[in-house]
Formats: sequence, C-alpha cells, structure tokens
Amino acid sequence: MFQKGKILNALSISYAAAAFALAVAWHPVHALQDDDLSLEDLTKTEVSSVSRRNQSLSNVPAAAFVITAEDIRRSGAQALPDVLRMVPGIQVAQVDSGRYAVSARGFNGRFANKLQVLIDGRSVYHPFFSGTIWEYDPIPLEDIERIEVIRGAGAAMWGVNAVNGVINIISRHSRTQTGGMVAGTLGSNGQRQLYTRAGGSIDADTTWKLSAQGRHAQPSKQLANDRYSEDDLSNGVVDFRLDRSLSGGSNFSVWANAGSSSVGDLYPVTPNLADLQTLTSVPITQKVASQTVGARYRWLSEQGVESSLQTSVGNTSIELKDVFEVTSTQFDLDYQGRYSFGSHDLLWGASHRTVSDEVWSRYVISVAKPAFTQHTTGVFLHDNWTLIDDRLQLGLGARWDQTNLGGDTFSPSATLMWTPTRSDTLWAKYAKAPRMPARGEQDVSIYVGYRPPTASFPFPVVLKAQPANQPLHDETMEGFELGYRSQLTQQLSMDATVFQYRYSDIVTSSLGGNSLLPIGGGIFLPVQNLDRTNGGSGWLSGAELSVDWLLMPTWRMQLSYAFTHVNMDDSANSVTQGQGLREERSTARHYGSLRSQWNVASNQQVDAWIRGSSGIYRTLSPYPSEIYVPGYVTLDLRYAYKLNKDIELALTGRNLVGPRRIEYVTDYVPATPVIIEPSWLLSARWKF
Amino acid sequence: MPAATSGSPRNRPLRWLAAVLLAGVSLAFAQPDSEPQLESAYLVNFLKYVEWPTSKRTTTTICLFGRDTLGPFLSSHEGRVIGGKELRIRRVNSPDDMQYCQLIYIPDVEEARIGAVLRWIQGMPVLAASNADGFARSGGGIELLRTGGRVQFVVNAETLSRHGLNPSSQMLRLANQVIGGDR
Repeated sequence: MFQKGKILNALSISYAAAAFALAVAWHPVHALQDDDLSLEDLTKTEVSSVSRRNQSLSNVPAAAFVITAEDIRRSGAQALPDVLRMVPGIQVAQVDSGRYAVSARGFNGRFANKLQVLIDGRSVYHPFFSGTIWEYDPIPLEDIERIEVIRGAGAAMWGVNAVNGVINIISRHSRTQTGGMVAGTLGSNGQRQLYTRAGGSIDADTTWKLSAQGRHAQPSKQLANDRYSEDDLSNGVVDFRLDRSLSGGSNFSVWANAGSSSVGDLYPVTPNLADLQTLTSVPITQKVASQTVGARYRWLSEQGVESSLQTSVGNTSIELKDVFEVTSTQFDLDYQGRYSFGSHDLLWGASHRTVSDEVWSRYVISVAKPAFTQHTTGVFLHDNWTLIDDRLQLGLGARWDQTNLGGDTFSPSATLMWTPTRSDTLWAKYAKAPRMPARGEQDVSIYVGYRPPTASFPFPVVLKAQPANQPLHDETMEGFELGYRSQLTQQLSMDATVFQYRYSDIVTSSLGGNSLLPIGGGIFLPVQNLDRTNGGSGWLSGAELSVDWLLMPTWRMQLSYAFTHVNMDDSANSVTQGQGLREERSTARHYGSLRSQWNVASNQQVDAWIRGSSGIYRTLSPYPSEIYVPGYVTLDLRYAYKLNKDIELALTGRNLVGPRRIEYVTDYVPATPVIIEPSWLLSARWKF
Repeated sequence: MPAATSGSPRNRPLRWLAAVLLAGVSLAFAQPDSEPQLESAYLVNFLKYVEWPTSKRTTTTICLFGRDTLGPFLSSHEGRVIGGKELRIRRVNSPDDMQYCQLIYIPDVEEARIGAVLRWIQGMPVLAASNADGFARSGGGIELLRTGGRVQFVVNAETLSRHGLNPSSQMLRLANQVIGGDR
C-alpha cells in the first residue's frame, strides 16, 4: 500500500532520530554550573523560554503524562481531542468537523467506552451512551490549568469505566484569572472561535471568574463525491467559578457551567424498505445541551486528616432531530479523605451518583424502558507504603462499586515503585478494572444496517442490534504494566511503558434469532437479530515511549509513540467472531508524534508538530462492508508573535501535508465519511 | 486546492526533520537552564541565605513533598557542604517525616495539599517553598514564581520568623516581594 510505505518510512525516521538523539545526549547528569551562582545571579538568569516544565512526574507508579496550559496554547488546537494527540497511548481520530473518536490503548470508536474523563473530579462520561461526547465543549481550553492523563486501569481509584485510562482535566483557579481577556480565531473551512473572560477579587481571600466561548465550523467535504456534508458545528459554553480560601488551610469553591452543541450529519438511509439497495442521504441535526452547578469544600481536621467533599447536580439532553431524544438529570456526591502517618499515605473515599433519564425515540431506534434511574455507589481505600525511604514504595488499593444496572464490582490494584537513583524510576503495576454496561447497551434496539442478497440467500436481510434476554453485566480488564522513567541528563528525559491486559465478558454482538419486519402491503422483510451479550474476550498488549529533549534554551522537542495490539479470542458464534476481527482491524498499531517548540525571539514562537498513524479498517454502516482508512503523516505549524506582554497574534496551519484523507468512520450509526482538510487559523489573544 | 494533493511536498517535512535533528546534535552540548534546574539552584541557595536556629546536626536536608518534580535536578547538589553541613535530599509524604527537613519543597501539582503540609510543620524550624501560585500570600515561606524570562521569589517574612528562621537582609533585598515583617 502506498500510504503504508510512507508511514513506515516516516516512523523509521522518527525512531532513528530518537535513537540518535539519545546516543548524542547520553552523558551522565553533570553538576550544574549554577552551583556557584549567588542568589543575585539566579534572579538575573534567563530561564529556558520553552515550556514551563517537564511533563513527567518522576515518582508516580503509573503511565502518566501531563499537558500544561502552555502545551495547549502552543498546539494550536481548537478542540480538546486535538490537544490529547500529544499523549503517547491516546489515540485520537477526527470523524468530521465536530466529532472525534478518542481512546486510550485501542478499542477506539466514536462511543469509545473504556476511557474515563473527569473535569475537577466530575465525570463527563455519558452514562447512556457509555462514552464521552467529544463534539460538546465541556470547558473552554483557555480555562484549563493542566490535563493529567493516566493510561491503564484506574478503576481502583477513579471508579468503574476507568478501564484503559483516565483523563483528569484540572481547571484554572479563579485567582489566576482575574482581569479580562478576549481571544478570537478565524480560519478556513469557516472556523471561528471567540473566548471572553472577566474575573476579579471580592476580598483578599475570594476570587471569581466568568468565561464564555463560542465555536463554529462549516461542513466538511464528502469522501465519495466532494460535495459538502452537513456537519456544520455550533458550540457555546459558559463557565463560572468562585473560590474562597478559609482559615486553617480550608477552602471552598462553587461553579456553574452551561453549554450547548449542535452538529449536523448526513445519514445514508433506505427510504423505501422494499428497495434496500437504494440509499438516500438524509441530513440530521444532533443537539447536546448541559447545565451543571457544583461546590467543593476542602478542610483539615485537628488530627491532620485532609478531606474534600464535592457535590454537583446537572442536566444533560441529547437530541437527534425527529429520531431520538434523551434527557438525564444527574446528582453526584463525592467524599475523599487522606491521612499520612509514619511511612503510610492513606487515601479513602466514597461516592454516589444518581442518573435519571427519559428517552423518546422512533423509526429505527426503540428503547425498552422509557425512563430509568440508575444509582451507583462506591467506596475505595488506597495506601502508599514507603518500604525503604527514597527507594521502594508499595501501593495497594481496592474499590467496590454497586449499581442497579450491571451489578457489583471489585477493582483491586497493586503497584511497586523502585527509584534506584533520583533520576530513575522503575515501576510495576497490577490492576483490574470493570466497565459497567450502559443503559444504551442494556435497553436499546436499533436497526443497524442490512446484508445484501447472497447466492445462498437471495434476499436482503435487515440487521437488528438488540439486548439479549439475559441482562448484561460488567466487562473486566485485568493485567500488568511495567514502566521506566529517566532523567538522562538535565535536558533529556524519557518515559517508557509496556503492558499486557486480558479482557473478559466484553459486551459484543452474537448471532441471535430471526424475525420478520412488516413493511406494509403484506410484505415482510427477514430480520437477523444481533443480540448483545457479554460474549467477547481478548488480549491487549503494547508499548509507549515519550522522549523530551531541551536542545537549546529556546528549543525543545518531544517525541511520543505508541504500539498497540488487540488480539480478540476466536468465537464459535459467527457474529461475535466477526466483531472481534473488526475490533482488531480498527486499532491503529502505530501512533505517534514529534513536536518542536522553538522560541525564535523572546516575542516570537515557531512550533511544528508532525503526527502520524498507521491505517485501520472501519465498518461502513448501513452496509456491512469495510472501508480502509489509510495511515497518514501530517504536519501542523504555528507562528506566534507577541506585540507586548498582553497581546499575542498567532497563525496556525493544521493537517498541512499528506494526501487527501479521511481519519475515521463512525460506528453504529449510518455514516458519511468526510475529508479532513488542511486548514489555516489566525488567532489573537488580548489580556487586560 | 491545498498543496497536500500534489506529490513532492510530502517528503519535505521528513527532510526538514532530519535537518533539524542534525542541527540539534551540534548544539546538544549547549546547556540551557530549564525552570526545574533554576528552582533547584534556588532551593540550595536559600540554605545559605536563611539562618536556622542553632543545632548540633551535621547535615541539612531538602525534602521533596509528594509528586517529585525536582529530584533529578537536585541530585547533582546532593552531598555538597553548605554552611559546614552536608546537603541531603529526601522524598517525604507524611508528617512524621517533617522532623528530618530543614527545607520542604511542595510542587504546584500538589497545590491541594499545601494547607496540610503547612499544618504539619507548624512550630518547627522548617522553611516551606513552592512554585504554586499565591503560596507566600497564603502563609507559605518562599514562593518561586516565573516573571518574564526569569524565576524570582517572594518571601513571607512573617511566616519565616514564626518558624524561627532568619532571612538575610541581602535575600530580602533580592526578593521580588516581601510579605509581612518590616522591610
């Protein structure tokens, strides 16, 4: 394959470059010249102008990566998923102008269900679809302090659904956002973005901020005919936060957040059931709206127990015009405690979540229960036990969750971390993590497509995905990880991880019974039921590498690479077998990027980002046929110019090289693949 | 139409990358000062510019609290003799460790736990330093902050004197800001 050759070429160059870099820069951490610098000299020393700090945290026994606010700004990304592309092991694929498929370590999909996403501890994982709705902007990128991404099983701490990874988004404290700010972006493909913020202090201990962001993009072009699709995007989000410091190290925060997202789509459907071969493209608009208010109180007891109590209530609605609508109200209550004594660092917590939903649907979708309330309650306990000071630490944790949809789960974890020197960390981790079945999996029936006539059965067959008679229970993942992290020199660091996990009871389709679908006029179509069962199982293995190199005070490079291999077990059930094969073939084996951040002058930045992925196969609904999504290597460029300390202008180019391509094809719903085109963006930020 | 559809520019980024890396190699021995490097040098310097109550100990210990961001950068200072005392570095996680510390560094990623650590060292001759925003104002000893292209520091003189620590006048003069006390 032409594209494959290119990918391999590019990847091998990246490897060679990384190896070369390592070889050249490999010399022992030398004593710093700053040794003899006086305090006065230090206050006058120019610090490296690129990146505030190193992203790796040397003593964390997990595959962790930190994205700083500066990384976000310099990425030129307009949407959260594009920021996540820099994390080794996180796979991001753009579906259209607003939709993305994001996963950690394989099992990607538009409704990828094994990645937990939290904003200040509050889950934005949607319980109905079992996944994150990436086209919705939960928080403006400007309001993010940092993003901590932890790959691998995190359920022992973060609860169910933190299976392949957790994304912790930490928002900026309002103390750092006093004053005003306006940031705007104009770009090709009708991309527009406007962010405004105001903040201030009420007294010495109380600060607030209010921000609003709007974002718009015009439709993409269809792969098939170069005509515009219907995926125009309009997003808005408003975020308020108030923080108050109380005496004795306690503090109190309240926030309110409301947002909406509207993005169109083009569904190829069969208007005439008697003629299934003829497809007509029907535009459908999807609207998401959400409102949340919450509060958090952190305090210290006389005995030294650190506590945090957080609660929030919210409402979310998702509407596919004239086809489907779900509104849900959620309530969260979360307590976490921490007590450190002797060589122990003890964490414990309890959380409760209630989600009440109401569903309305017609045509191809039907829902068994029009309303449902799900309760999930969990408790966890975790101890970090320092066995040898500065050398060896053992971590043991467990969490129990109980829910009325899917049953009870137990998630243990154990880590061992060895730090032979201050610059090297070696860690091992065992963990088990459950994913709870979603309401959408348990109760929704949907006509997903059809099978064209074959020689043995000369009639088209309608395919219907539906729950099996037996209720679904949790999927589980269990396995091991090994990691090594090293600060090789003061300028060069690396972080490598290998892992192997075993999945069992994966929710999958299996060959069910047959029925007949009346289409009027006394005509019936044969229907093949695809029953959802906990019938899947398989292996996940892979390796991740990131290298961070400060070549010059003004120049930094960062490499990230992930190899991911999914190997599902063979199944006697032909449908389960087919789905397993599709899972394997839709996982990109190689995924990586190389970022360069260069400060040409104190007021000018030039950033380059080479990103690439190997190819995958996706199913093109409603046909049960596969489409090859070729691998790619592309380039983003950004030039930023600071007029003064408050005003910055930036020109960003995204997806600048490589052939015309699609990056993904959505799952479950009928899909019109669209081209991911090169784009240019002009941005301005003004702080006042 | 975008240039992406034509054939040859596709190789350009790769060649560009190779050129950039080769250029990088020649510069690899230029040693830039990164922020953690400078912060580490600051911590070591504070030991010289702050006077601790007299004691019989023969070592001075910088403790790194929680998730370690400076360890690799401080290791080159470890074992040096500062003011007649040997410098030790130690990772700490609990109040029982505080007795070993002369200086404790709390990285900004542990901001949520600052209150707890300050409570742990109450009444002890321990200097707390952090790069978390607002640290000095909220009762911490010394805050490292980045302003412009430099790392500077804010001293809370009141906190230091409460811990029985005596900052030199030179240090107070060099501080970006001094909170409390009479300057």
